[in-house]
Amino acid sequence: MHSPELLKGTLQTIVLKVLKDHGRMYGYEITQRVKELSDERILLTEGALYPALHKLEAEGILKTETENIGKRIRKYYTLTPQGKSLVKERVAELTDFIKTMSNVLQVKLA
Amino acid sequence: MQLTNDHIDYIIKDLNYRGIVHDDLQHEFVDHICSAVEEKMQGNVRFLDAYHAVLQQFGHTTGLRQTQLQTISQQNTQIKIMLRSYFTIALRNLRKHSFYSFINVAGLSVGISICLVILLFVLNELRYDRHHERVDRIYRIHAEIDFAGNHYDMTYAPAPMAATLASDYPEVEAAVRFREQGSYLIKREADNIKESKVIWTDKDFFKIFTVPLIAGNPETALAEPKSIAISKEIADKFFPNEEAIGQTLILDNNMTMKVTAVYQDMPATSHFHFNVLIAMAGLDEAKSPVWFSNNFQTYFLLRDGANVKNLEEKFPDLITKHVMPQMKEVLDDFTPEKFAEAGNKLVYTTQALSDIHLYSSLQGEFEPNFDITYIYLFVAIALFILIIASINFMNLSTARSANRAKEVGVRKVMGSLRSHLMRQFLMESLLLSLFSFILAIGLAYLLLPLFNNLAARELSLPLTQPFFYLFILTGAIVVGFLAGVYPSFFLSAFKPVNVLKGNVALGMKSGFIRSSLVVFQFMISIFLVIATAVVYMQLDYIQTKKLGFNKDQVIMVDDIYALGNQRLTYKEEIMRHSFIENASIAGYLPVAGSNRSDTPWWIEGKEANQENMVSLQNWQVDHDYIKTFGMSIKEGRDFSHIFPSDSNAVILNESAAKALSFNESIIGKRVNTFGDDSNGDLNKGNLRVLTVIGVVEDFHFESLKQSVTPLMMFLSKRPSGYLSVRFQSANAEEVISMLEKEWKEMAPGQPFTYQFLDDSFGKMYAAESRLGSIFGIFSSVAIIIACLGLFALTAFTAEQCTKEIGIRKVLGASVSSIVIMLSKDYGKLVLIAFVLATPFAWWGVNEWLQSYEYKVNVAWWVYMLAGVVAFGIAWITMSYQSIRAALSNPVNSLRSE
Repeated sequence: MHSPELLKGTLQTIVLKVLKDHGRMYGYEITQRVKELSDERILLTEGALYPALHKLEAEGILKTETENIGKRIRKYYTLTPQGKSLVKERVAELTDFIKTMSNVLQVKLA
Repeated sequence: MQLTNDHIDYIIKDLNYRGIVHDDLQHEFVDHICSAVEEKMQGNVRFLDAYHAVLQQFGHTTGLRQTQLQTISQQNTQIKIMLRSYFTIALRNLRKHSFYSFINVAGLSVGISICLVILLFVLNELRYDRHHERVDRIYRIHAEIDFAGNHYDMTYAPAPMAATLASDYPEVEAAVRFREQGSYLIKREADNIKESKVIWTDKDFFKIFTVPLIAGNPETALAEPKSIAISKEIADKFFPNEEAIGQTLILDNNMTMKVTAVYQDMPATSHFHFNVLIAMAGLDEAKSPVWFSNNFQTYFLLRDGANVKNLEEKFPDLITKHVMPQMKEVLDDFTPEKFAEAGNKLVYTTQALSDIHLYSSLQGEFEPNFDITYIYLFVAIALFILIIASINFMNLSTARSANRAKEVGVRKVMGSLRSHLMRQFLMESLLLSLFSFILAIGLAYLLLPLFNNLAARELSLPLTQPFFYLFILTGAIVVGFLAGVYPSFFLSAFKPVNVLKGNVALGMKSGFIRSSLVVFQFMISIFLVIATAVVYMQLDYIQTKKLGFNKDQVIMVDDIYALGNQRLTYKEEIMRHSFIENASIAGYLPVAGSNRSDTPWWIEGKEANQENMVSLQNWQVDHDYIKTFGMSIKEGRDFSHIFPSDSNAVILNESAAKALSFNESIIGKRVNTFGDDSNGDLNKGNLRVLTVIGVVEDFHFESLKQSVTPLMMFLSKRPSGYLSVRFQSANAEEVISMLEKEWKEMAPGQPFTYQFLDDSFGKMYAAESRLGSIFGIFSSVAIIIACLGLFALTAFTAEQCTKEIGIRKVLGASVSSIVIMLSKDYGKLVLIAFVLATPFAWWGVNEWLQSYEYKVNVAWWVYMLAGVVAFGIAWITMSYQSIRAALSNPVNSLRSE
């Protein structure tokens, strides 16, 4: 499992990319999807996820819709058009960063 | 496996219990937890175990709350949303409590408008003479002379000073002199117009001062005798739609002058405003080589890079080289040492041009200047008024905290952080202050004409400058912040548990700071009331003091010289009318600004040295002077036509008699001074001798800021100046029309102007009377604002105590006892304020009165009266609210439905 320290700066990018690939998702689903994609090596904590989601919503990058499932109310997140363009930017930024890091640390990525 | 509804209810309740109140977030958490629990239960884990495992992921209660807190604060960093919400709530709050909002806005906007006006005024005063490009290199000579018992602090320098400075001192680039000769009658062909802003000056005037020319050459304009430069105003008056250059104007019916330059009118913020400049080259007096007669205001331009202190250090040598040798010629056995020993002094220093308007009040100023102390005073008053208004805001906000405590509690329970609440309250005060500032601009716009009238200025709001709006905005933010920061700390600190249970230390009890603020407000108000009272008392004292002459019922006709040889005929014609008591022709009047002339005299037979000489005012008068002005003879007799020898007689005032002869009677003694030779220069060989025939009671002929100095009067061979007329008639109009009719007959084409002696006398104290009115207005404003606050505070107290009052009344309390109960707290505060304010006021008043030679005695009851007045006003303010509360029917307040 990766340390949360390393994840801190990439959380938003991960969430955005996952939402881009899967469209509409709710909070728990996002954590599960990330867990699956990372072979259980990245576990998003709820304490980090929800504030981030709400912040992105407030900034107009995500929009939400709710659905009643029995007694439960489920809140789905999707990217807004503004969010979509942001994803590309963020992913490009992160790949660029990974490359730089590999150079800095003098390691070859498999 | 699906969770049952029971499970879900359990989770919702549990989350509530753990303090998750944010609706949106709660739904998400429930869904999230349910999903996670369901997954875990698929591995045959019991519900509760699964639930606790999931909770652990969230970090139990602490983790949950942390997440909630973070989510809320993240949401609120969106500035637009935050501001919009604060703005709406603030507006609603202000509207809901419109009475308190009104008190706050009214107080603040009045305070701010006063501040704006004062600020404009102060900025205007600080701008004086800054329009001269070389302002930082222009200086004026200041002479300080002690001679023959008289002290002179003046702008006058000797005639040769300017030329010597320019030629012998490398630090000086150019120098210019001014010589005032009073007003002139000016005509083009026929009708004379009287112009008072006329001055003689040297040709370098345009080189030193920045006075842009519209026409003419600045280098040569004033070089030739008989040439004048005129302002645009004068050019338009005499040569409308014509080229003024090259034309001629006739001054005083006998001097033909050629116009060589037309310059732009001098700006209002200049310490001189000349309309006509006459070339000094045509003035004989200007060529005089005499160093001990000071008549010329002298300005010089310092060379770039030179230090004025270095120049000043050379002035003592200049005196030794030029002044002392001439003194030696005139005075018996003169040495510089003896000169100093007799208490005499002669010092020249310099004044920077930019300092003149605010720091200089010497003899021979062109116009009355302002005083820097008043600038400080005004700024202090402006600040005080603003502080009083801000205090109202603070007090009302904290006093009403009780009403808002519940709001704070609920908000906090709903997850508001303290910082949110503080921002909310600050927003309210910012809105209020912004609104007040906008109102204040309007108020200031209305106030300015009144103030301009009062302060004799031409101020206007700089409404076209973006800087002004920036300033207003900054001001609003600063004031709003300062007034709002304390209430916002105070209100946001409430603990929700206490507040919602209803046992918070409410409004009135948290009153120490509030009480101190009320005390402070009233301290300032009482101080201002005392100051105003004393200024008015001093003014009144001056106006009614026994002056030694009678200033009422005297009209003075100006420029009697325009009548030429018919002066005496005019006087005789006038005297024929029964309602004219007396008339006298003289240029020397007992009000500041008329002719003065002073020469040293000594008793005949004593040696003419520094010890025996007394510097005396030499007034040339006529036979009727003393009678006309209502002075009284103390010893000896008045001038009389019966004694032809009176042409060599002199009447002294008491001070002169005392200074010349100490205790012995002086009647019949003879006094000497040096006479003039044919060129007007002093001639030691030609002694002038006059015989003392009388002593007149001391009368005040300068402002009461100065003491009465020795003076002598003798008969003039050719009296001139003003015709002063003492009349009996109650109808001054009649007297004036008669004077004018006679004048028109004898001097057609010459302007007839006149003034009343008591008006001219009043003008000496124009600055004081302005100060009095301005002080009066400011202190009333301060008191009104402070009382507005008190009014609202009592209203609030009464509101808080409705139930208490009801119960007391039911139990038999009288109306008066309830009124006393309600007002005694604040009454006490006003008393404390009075006790604290009195020493400050006493000190301030004494400082101000120092500048007067004759001052009113401020008795203790003045202070008491001011205190009683302040207390009375405060009491009346409070009683309206408290009587209303006390009179209300207890049924209304006690009934609960």
